[in-house]
Amino acid sequence: MLLDCLKRLEYRGYDSCGVAVALDSVGMYKDSVRVEALKKTIPEMKGLVGVGHTRWATHGEPSRVNAHPHLDCSGSIAVVHNGVVTNYRRLRHQLSSEGHNFVSETDTEVIPHLIEKYYEGDLEEAVRAALNDIEGSYAIIALKAGEPKLVIARKDSPLIIGVGDRENFVASDVPAILDYTGRVIYLEDDDFGVITANSIKICHNGTEVTREGQQVHWSVEEAQRGGYEHFMLKEIHEQPRVIRQTLGEYTQSADPLEDLEAMRDASAMVKNQGVESVLMLACGTSYNAALIGKYIIEELLRVPVVVEVASEFNYYRHTLSRTLAVALTQSGETADTLKAMKKLREVGCRVVAITNVVGSTASRIANQTIYTKAGPEISVAATKTFIAQLMVLYWLAISYSKTDARKLANLLMGLRQLPSKVQQVLDSDDQIKEHALFLSRYKNAFFIGRGISFPVALEGALKLKEISYIHAEGYAAGEMKHGPFSLLGRDAPVIAVVAKDNTYDTMLTNIREVKARKSPLLALAEEDDEAIAELADSVISLPGIDALFSPVINVVALQLLAYHTAKKLDCPIDYPRNLAKSVTVE
Amino acid sequence: MRQAVILAAGEGQRLRPFTVNKPKGMLFIAGKPILQYVIEALAQNGVRDIVMVVGYKREQIFDCLGSGEQFGVDIVYINQEKQLGTAHALTQVQSVVGDEFLVLPGDNLIEAGTIADFVNVGPSAMLLKEVDNPLRYGVITIEDGLVKQIEEKPEEITVNTINTGIYAFSRDIFQFIGTELNLPDVIQKMLAQGCAVGAFETEDTWLDIVYPWDILSLNNAVLRHIQPTLEGTIEAGGFVRGLVVVGKDSVIRSGSYIVGPVIIGSNCDIGPGVSIMPSTSIGDNVLISPFTEVRNSAIGADVTIGPGSIVQDSVIDEGCTLGGHFTACSGEVEVRVNDAYHGVNVGAMIGAGCSLGYNVVAQPGVIVGCYSQVQASKVIHGKLPDRSTVF
Repeated sequence: MLLDCLKRLEYRGYDSCGVAVALDSVGMYKDSVRVEALKKTIPEMKGLVGVGHTRWATHGEPSRVNAHPHLDCSGSIAVVHNGVVTNYRRLRHQLSSEGHNFVSETDTEVIPHLIEKYYEGDLEEAVRAALNDIEGSYAIIALKAGEPKLVIARKDSPLIIGVGDRENFVASDVPAILDYTGRVIYLEDDDFGVITANSIKICHNGTEVTREGQQVHWSVEEAQRGGYEHFMLKEIHEQPRVIRQTLGEYTQSADPLEDLEAMRDASAMVKNQGVESVLMLACGTSYNAALIGKYIIEELLRVPVVVEVASEFNYYRHTLSRTLAVALTQSGETADTLKAMKKLREVGCRVVAITNVVGSTASRIANQTIYTKAGPEISVAATKTFIAQLMVLYWLAISYSKTDARKLANLLMGLRQLPSKVQQVLDSDDQIKEHALFLSRYKNAFFIGRGISFPVALEGALKLKEISYIHAEGYAAGEMKHGPFSLLGRDAPVIAVVAKDNTYDTMLTNIREVKARKSPLLALAEEDDEAIAELADSVISLPGIDALFSPVINVVALQLLAYHTAKKLDCPIDYPRNLAKSVTVE
Repeated sequence: MRQAVILAAGEGQRLRPFTVNKPKGMLFIAGKPILQYVIEALAQNGVRDIVMVVGYKREQIFDCLGSGEQFGVDIVYINQEKQLGTAHALTQVQSVVGDEFLVLPGDNLIEAGTIADFVNVGPSAMLLKEVDNPLRYGVITIEDGLVKQIEEKPEEITVNTINTGIYAFSRDIFQFIGTELNLPDVIQKMLAQGCAVGAFETEDTWLDIVYPWDILSLNNAVLRHIQPTLEGTIEAGGFVRGLVVVGKDSVIRSGSYIVGPVIIGSNCDIGPGVSIMPSTSIGDNVLISPFTEVRNSAIGADVTIGPGSIVQDSVIDEGCTLGGHFTACSGEVEVRVNDAYHGVNVGAMIGAGCSLGYNVVAQPGVIVGCYSQVQASKVIHGKLPDRSTVF
């Protein structure tokens, strides 16, 4: 059972895994393999309480000895841990000199030994004492032979409790336990708990508290592949539905939803409360969405927008007066983004979070949260959550846009047409497969674009490099001639994203320049675009749409391009090497 | 029988343009794809173990049905690379089926009652039905409750009992299939070798869909039994009568008049001043502008219809944008599908993603291929291939 739950957590990390089960003694089995492989070799183990872990290595390479769970010297305490113990070296040194034996290179191993050190008959007290010595982040589950309970604690890494009928579960994330219960309690930072089959006790800073449970509305179904070969393909195909659902939520609901309120409040802040600029923070794919958001908000709300990579934001000073901060994080647990958000709240800035996970840490730090409601995204590479983030940004801008009514009506019409246009792109899969065949032969690639298509190029490059391991770079088309041109040639294909806006003519010039340097050129363009068809070596034909919405169409095409290229190269698409879904470390 | 094999790999070539981007089993009738009717009929009879053979445009099926959990069933998908025939499709599942199983086509609309008795019969058996137009199908003669003879597409009508394509088999069938590509031929083989094949009849719903206009007759048949529900909003001055389903977040604006049976999807914007007459089905996210009449038609998802339009006896597939003053009236026409002409009374049949300017007139029986564009004020008729431009 533990292994089945772990399988559902593999998107968080999958270079090693292990389980420990306790009755009168602790039985443990682990290795640096995927869960499916462990399932084949693991001996049967019985117990009343157990823990499991899948790993994404931070300290210590993936290996059997470094995999979790980790034990103490006596082998009667087992611990699994998500996070980083920043002072582990000092602790390890100290514990070694007190006679403890260490076998792994991990930071986690200090924890069971600390618990062993403080153990005087009560696991709860021992864990509490151990945590006092630890600095850093953690979500911990500890068990001891002979005590049918789990002692758990959370600080900076996510941890949830699944409430069952005469059985209880603790996990890093909801999909792990959805098969068994839909009732979930999200723990807060500095929470400490003791869980038995029949009781749940949670303490915060020493005093007992009750935490509200929530009913999760995802079904295990949504977290399953249902016929598709990869989760990523499933999630790409879900995008028309995701767009339609967002439209449904925000267009004509009879009762304003909480999200609609949050949306209106956020937009109202911009319009009414003298917000003079917007600061957007994000990492990875969300950062690309934020860049597109910048164009959208500047175009429709006429307010300057600054976009920062969250991890960089933490390291220099800002002057923030009358700024609205918007943080985009799919998981709501991205450590870099959370840190930036906390900093902003500390200096009194208003923060709006856009996230896909209800009850996530980001939603608790922000003043307001707008949920993207795209359903769980299992594939490590973000697809539908990116599109869903774009939809929220479109709505944020359109709700209180300063453009005239006629233009607004056209925009709304454009939005309404999005689901079928995206479906059209999905239906023209076959042409994209051919281009993927061509692309798969290269080791490098450039993606170029201008204006609103520039972040699209960035995202296209990111998707390709994530899952196919081809070294792809996104570049502003105007920047290419200031350096990267030296890299062009027959073995460096260029993918140009062209929108029918005021950047069109200069893009044509850029394409000619690229062609003159002999790089094979693939262009994304509207169906009847003859000028591009003549210039480019090959074209991905896409349905025509207002330039403002072209990122949605273009990104979906680039997602498919990346997917089919990776498939041609036999890459493990849903679980690319070295990557994890929700990056909860810095 | 606790397990069923659904054959859903087929393209349905004669149903173009509606099968250009989806397989036949995914055609929507009264708001649900045909495959869903089959699955629900099985689930209601306690058959929850489903193996589905897919092929043509299978992602559409995955996206809609998934693992089957929402219907209370478990679906395993088997891919048939080349659609060579029904028997060939069946051989693909040999490694995953049990000892006994039902076989059903994925493109015939059935109800729980159709197979209620049949799920309890033993192998081998066939389900039959009496129809008015047996000439299209395999005609069966019965003797003493067993199948005596199958005649595919006979010259003259002798009996009206036809093969529904629903079978009950045991694993022995794989011995009989051999190199045969179609199941009726396999049955012939079994009969020739003296095997007994049980013959059972149903009087319940079994609807076949071969030509684009069949969508309307299936729509009618099913809409007669819908349960009226109201999940959207009706503004003051909006009027609804009869069996009407209004989906979540849809709005019926003031002055609009809806007479059932009508099904309207979610997040639609109807009106003001729109008249929707029976039997009409409208998909999700559809916008119908003021002063339009839609009568006896099937409108797909994401469609936009401009103001002052008339849509009668027509099928408009997903994502179409029809400009204002669009006119599609029905009439008696001869429509050509492949090499045959069919006399039917129908309006316009428009494939997915088409974009029509204002004031376009669609002559009765016109078939417009997917992703076509028609300039304003044009009159369209006959058959337009995919991606046509009329200017």
